[in-house]
This record gives sequence, C-alpha cells and structure tokens, in this order.
Amino acid sequence: MIRRILLGYDGSESSDHAYRFAAELARRYEAELHVLAVARPPDLGDEVETEALIEHSRRHYEQMLAKLRRRLSHDVVTAHTSLAVGHPAEQLVRYAEQHGIDHIVVGHRGHTLFERWLIGSVARQVIAHAPCAVTVVRR
Amino acid sequence: VTEIWTQAALWLGLALLATLLSIWLRVATALSEIVVGTIAQLVIGAALGGALLAGDASWLKFLAGAGAIVLTFLAGAELDPVVFKRQWKQAGAVGLVSFAAPFFGCAAVARYGLGWSVDASWLAGIAMSTTSVAVVYAVMLEFGLNRTDYGKTVLAACFVTDLATVVALGFLFAPFSARTLVFLGVGAAVFFVLPWLTPRFFRRFGGRPSELEAKFLMLCLFGMGALASWADSEAVLPAYLIGMVLAGTVGKDHELVRRLRTLTFGLLTPFYFIRAGSLVSVPALVAAPAAMLVLLAAKMATKVVGVYPVTRRYGAPRQEAGYTTLLMSTGLTFGTISALFGLSHGVIDQGQYSALVAAVVGSAVVPTLIANAFFLPRHLLGGAVPSAGEANALPAEVGAVARRVP
Repeated sequence: MIRRILLGYDGSESSDHAYRFAAELARRYEAELHVLAVARPPDLGDEVETEALIEHSRRHYEQMLAKLRRRLSHDVVTAHTSLAVGHPAEQLVRYAEQHGIDHIVVGHRGHTLFERWLIGSVARQVIAHAPCAVTVVRR
Repeated sequence: VTEIWTQAALWLGLALLATLLSIWLRVATALSEIVVGTIAQLVIGAALGGALLAGDASWLKFLAGAGAIVLTFLAGAELDPVVFKRQWKQAGAVGLVSFAAPFFGCAAVARYGLGWSVDASWLAGIAMSTTSVAVVYAVMLEFGLNRTDYGKTVLAACFVTDLATVVALGFLFAPFSARTLVFLGVGAAVFFVLPWLTPRFFRRFGGRPSELEAKFLMLCLFGMGALASWADSEAVLPAYLIGMVLAGTVGKDHELVRRLRTLTFGLLTPFYFIRAGSLVSVPALVAAPAAMLVLLAAKMATKVVGVYPVTRRYGAPRQEAGYTTLLMSTGLTFGTISALFGLSHGVIDQGQYSALVAAVVGSAVVPTLIANAFFLPRHLLGGAVPSAGEANALPAEVGAVARRVP
C-alpha cells in the first residue's frame, strides 16, 4: 500500500513529467503527495557568493512552489510542499527517511560530465540510497 | 583612452567567460576567474605579449583593490551578531584553534620544509589559515545544524578564524609606529560610532535612487583603507571589521546587500580574481609543484588536527564532524587576498606566490571533493540513527528542511 509519495521537483520539464506521474499515483492510491524542492549551493563554493546563491535559489523555489500549490489543490487530495538546501539526492533520501515515505518519484534529465563525476546523477543516487521504491520518470 | 576601453573589454570578456564556466561546472566564480586569469596570461602573454592584459595599470589595480575591500566587507557583514555575542567564548576558542593550527603548522612547513624566508613563511601560514564561512554555512544548512548550538558555534568560529587571518595580515608585516597608534585610535572610534550612526543616517536620507547607502559605505571602506595603508597595514582589515560591526544593521538590509553584491560581482571582483590568477607563473608552478602540494597537505592536516577534535567534543557524529572539518579547510577569498598582499609588498616572490595561490585554489577544490566522495550521501546510511552520545549535536527538528509551507 502506498500512503506517502515524495516528488523531487525543480520546475524543469522533466520534473513536470514526474509531477503528473506522481499526482496520478497519489489519486489512485489516495496517498499524500509530498513535494520537495532543493536549493543547491555551488559544489565548490566561496565567500559571499555561496550565501547569495542560496538566497537566490530559495526565492526562486518559493515562487515556484507557490505556483505548484495552486495546481496541487486541483490535482491531489492531500499535499505538502517543502524547501530544503543541499544536494538534491541527499535531501530527498533524508526527507523520505524522516517522513516515512513509501515511494519516491523523480524526473530524469541530462547532466554535464563534470556534474556526474562530482556527485553523480540525482536519480541514480536516490535509487542507490532510498529507503523505499523509486520511480524515475523519463520523457 | 581607446587602450583603456580595449583592456577593459578584454578583462570583462574574460570575466564573462569565467562566469559561464562557473555556471557550467557549478563552482565559485572566484575560482573560475583565478583559473581563467592564469590561463589567459599564459596564452595571451605567449601569443600577443604580456602587455595586452596590462595587469599593472593603475585603473585596474584600483578596481581590483576595491573588489577585495567590498567583498571582504560583505563577508564580514554575514556575521550573526546575536549568535556571536551569545557564543563568543566557545566560538573564540574554536576559531582561534582553527586559525592557529594551520597558521603555525603551514608557516613551519614553509620555513623548515620548503626553506622559505621567515616573512614568506609567516605569510604562507596566514594564507593557508583561512576558512570559507559561506561554504561551512551551506553545510550547516544541509544538515539542519544552523539552528543548533553546535552549528552556530562553528559558524561564529569561522568568523573568528577569518578575523584572526585579517588581523595577522594587517599587523604582522606592519612596523609598529605612531601611525599604527593613529590607525588603531581612529579605527576604534569609527567601529564604535558606525553601528550607531549608520542606521540613523540611512533612515534619514536613504532609500532613494541616488544610492546614498552605497556611497556612504564605500566612503567608510576607502577612508579606513587609506588609513590602514598609510599605517603600512592592509585595507581589508578595517573592511572586515566594518562588515562585522554593521552586520546587525546593514547586514540585515537584504536589498542593500543585494545591490552591493551586484556592484561587487558585476564589476569589481572579476578584476581582482582575474588579476590574482594572471600573476600566477605556470612555468614556476610546473617547475616546482611540490611546494603547492606540501602546503595544501599541511593546511588540510593542520585543520583536521585543530578542528576535528573540537567538533567531536561538541558531540557531532563522526561523519558530520569529518565533513564539517573538511569544509572548514576550504578558503579561497582570504587565501588569495593574503597571497596577493605578500606579492605586492615584496614579502614573497612570484614562484612562492604561484605555489600559494595554487594551494589556495586546491584548498577550495580538494577538501570538497574528498568530502563529497566519502561523506555524501553515504553518511545517511550508517549515520541515520545517532548513538546516544551523538544525539546532542542534532537539532530538535532533525533534518534540513529550510521552510515548511503548509
């Protein structure tokens, strides 16, 4: 039985596909849908700029989540939206552990070679470490 | 004049390229600008002659110097004065250990391992003692530790470390004279008056398109910078202190801070970091890479020896203590500022400068890569349930959710 679904959302086209899949899943199972956006600091950061980037990302994601909440009120019975700071895969896994998530849904999009080398694909990392089932939605 | 505009266009072209690279590679723009500056000097210097970049032009030196001063001010203004006042004893102890261990350790390594002169060794110690507060802040947010006593103490300690760095830079190479006393006297008065005067002045005359706030702040920064230089000290010292004393007023005015960041990142710091990179001698670095590697290893080792036991004593789980310690080994801005101060004041030569800047760049990259490779996200697996002794370091609301939107 799926009671709580977690969606990793960054506003991209691929995460939008993942949203539609997760909303459908939540309706069918009458499950709660938790949406987590993650503001990501630079992988190799420095003074002032890192804080500026975190602030900028937070503002961006808060606006994005505000828009998403209007969609959620139409599409899903029970929904929660949250904003975290850090590496997306790590924060998704952490959130899933803390909130007893049964199923994680993430989109899949291309990464630069450097990003993959540095921390790996978000989807791959979530699959590797998630405490529950994971669906990666491809376009 | 045509020559100046051409050079300015060339430098801003390099800045734009560096910014694009930083976006693509997800690294700090400063890091990207230093590397671009180094490569540009190597390529343009070899192909078209070193004069084209003209890193010694006075207008360029002014923009670069102003960049270092305003950036340092903004770094100081990120301090949380309430937390600092509450935890200054612990933060002072941790911060001073975090400064002293690499300062003395790296200076000893430079003196006895690399055979540098006494002054050059002290400068190496200063350049390698820094900590990037912002990087540690990001880690604290990730772990949700920014609300705990542990997180707040470590963050405040990072400010103490950087303060110790700029104080050492400001006074270690300055002869103590009557000018020093004047600088200290005027500085003390200014640092005392500014937190009282600034908010009142801004309330009365600020909030207009004429950007009175920016002009006032830069007047204070350049004025105190001039006084520091007159006393043979370093302009970033008063800039950092002004930032710290105004953190509770100007630092909380997010709109003003954003406008200052635009000025700083958009115009000033590209000149500073590209210039810092352009002064690196790649041939010198290639001829003697050991100095860079030894200094980098010494910085990381001494930070671990100094900081790790303290974080453990506060009850941080091993993984998070290790992660925090590694991230406290990063430090690009103040490391570069210290190295460039040494080169421009004749304390170190270009070969030593190149080794120091390369080690500073390495300190911004290597600890993070190690931390990500060994601690992310594996720390979640074994470390999800803390032992009884480790629980104190975790926040009441465990996790890193920055804001829950109902």
